[in-house]
Amino acid sequence: MNSLLTVSGLSYRKQKSGLFSNRELFRLSPLSFELKRGETMAIMGENGSGKSLLAKLLVGVLQPEAGSILLNGEPMCDSRQQRRFSAIRMIFQHSKDSLNPGLTLGGQLEEALILNTNMSATERKRQIENTLVKVGMLPEHQYFYRHMLSEGQHQRAAVARALILDPQVIVADEPFAALDPSVRSQTANLLMNLQQQLGLGFIFISHNLGIVRHISDRILVLEKGKVVESGKTEVIFNWPKSEYTKRTIQAHQELISGQ
Amino acid sequence: MPMLDIKNLTLEIDTPMGWVSALDKVSLSIDTSEIRALVGESGSGKSLIVKSIVGAIPERWRVTADRMNWKGNDLLGMSGNQRRAITRNEISVILQNASAALDPSATLREQIEESIPSYRLTKGWFWQRRQQRLDIAIQELHRVGIRDHNLCLSSYAHQLPEDICQKFSIAMALVSKPKLLIADNPTVGMETTTKVQILKLLTKLNKTQGLSVLFVSHDLLAIAAMANTMTVLYCGQTVESGSIEQVKRRPLHPYTKALLDSAPSFRRDLPPKSPLSCLDGTIPTLQHLPIGCRLGPRCPRAQRECVKMPATRHIHGHSYACHFPLHRDKP
Repeated sequence: MNSLLTVSGLSYRKQKSGLFSNRELFRLSPLSFELKRGETMAIMGENGSGKSLLAKLLVGVLQPEAGSILLNGEPMCDSRQQRRFSAIRMIFQHSKDSLNPGLTLGGQLEEALILNTNMSATERKRQIENTLVKVGMLPEHQYFYRHMLSEGQHQRAAVARALILDPQVIVADEPFAALDPSVRSQTANLLMNLQQQLGLGFIFISHNLGIVRHISDRILVLEKGKVVESGKTEVIFNWPKSEYTKRTIQAHQELISGQ
Repeated sequence: MPMLDIKNLTLEIDTPMGWVSALDKVSLSIDTSEIRALVGESGSGKSLIVKSIVGAIPERWRVTADRMNWKGNDLLGMSGNQRRAITRNEISVILQNASAALDPSATLREQIEESIPSYRLTKGWFWQRRQQRLDIAIQELHRVGIRDHNLCLSSYAHQLPEDICQKFSIAMALVSKPKLLIADNPTVGMETTTKVQILKLLTKLNKTQGLSVLFVSHDLLAIAAMANTMTVLYCGQTVESGSIEQVKRRPLHPYTKALLDSAPSFRRDLPPKSPLSCLDGTIPTLQHLPIGCRLGPRCPRAQRECVKMPATRHIHGHSYACHFPLHRDKP
């Protein structure tokens, strides 16, 4: 069908190779899922269940052992790295630390354009200004350094850096974890707006079940590198099947009802 | 009489731009066996309040208060030794970011044994005391829900996951049998199941041993689940305080309302993917604090009068500081 991102049989193994034997440290069992245009998928799981690893595999920081990632039906192979890096972009957990303190915001956004496109200097500048306006900042912010921006603006800058290459999928690793409540709502609103306007596919990792329930369409639950559950958000919240999901959702309900 | 009673605490910091008041007339009181939540975003001065209660403030900063009493004794007027005795024996603090707050160069066993006060040791000979120290440490670890005490005690802080470190620092705080436990963001970045465990543990200690807790956090869900009363802080000013039910049912200050609205879990009627309500902008930095009510520039109800600091008003034990509170019609 018209799925944007198709992942099939993706697996990864982390080994420590000794002289005589290979010891397996972590194994991500083969997993498959599809992401449609304009859809949001949340990845849940305990610490060390392979959530961040999956995010890294999707954006191409790590090479999978087996399996394929198809974007619009075309395989993402190594020869077309530029296309892959501009189609799937990542937002990191600590947006402040992921910005370079020694470069202006415009300089950092331009780097991505220089490396991945053939735009001229004026085109690059126009693209940077457009992107900054898109995420609710001013064009003048391109001359700002990291320390001159507030926390909410750091988050917006991180989103701008993800959007600057007109991606189709955004992968975010705990985008809301380190944020204050009001900035968190602002970021969530911004991402939902952009998704509606641009039809982005959005994959995010989060511990905050309130936000997960609010903005995601589907959930993928990982446990020790295996997918234990996946499906529509409402279904999983109302009828969790696996032990881990049941426990987490029950704990969340307890918190809400205040017992 | 409240156990800890703070009235109009002001903390001024010396910056290149002159003295800036990071805390501006903050009032807070904690009764015996009460769980009070201190809510505020980062930069609102929550941690500064904690530090000024235990006296961990650099000497060149100015701390003034109309009243800052611990069980009727003035904390600011007493000598350093007296104050240290109180923070050693009666007040315990759990710092945020547990694994970073623990000593990286000593095993957890050395750290917890060092923090056991000598009056808990009853035996006379040194080998007996050594054994007793270990017994107390193990007992405390079991109490906070660490089952594998041998692994925990023999490890260094970096070798253990964050939630175990968090539980360990709770155990270390409880070892001196305090009357008041100050928990500074104890559940930040935790999974929901671990978070519920820790909240249950604190509630249990409060119920069974009458421990008072000052729960400093911005996680409203956790606060609503366990605290009795809450004080909301914005930019170093107390904006509202009252019991959880009162504040949750009818917030009077626009900031409290915005804070409650920003948690989607509180609102069952909210359709999925609808925009969340929030205030524009972010918390101002210390160098650019607005005068009067510091929420002013972000507040949807702000008027000209808001450049003056509003007086605190009380309704049935629910106090707020706003010229145009939500229960009155829009001016």
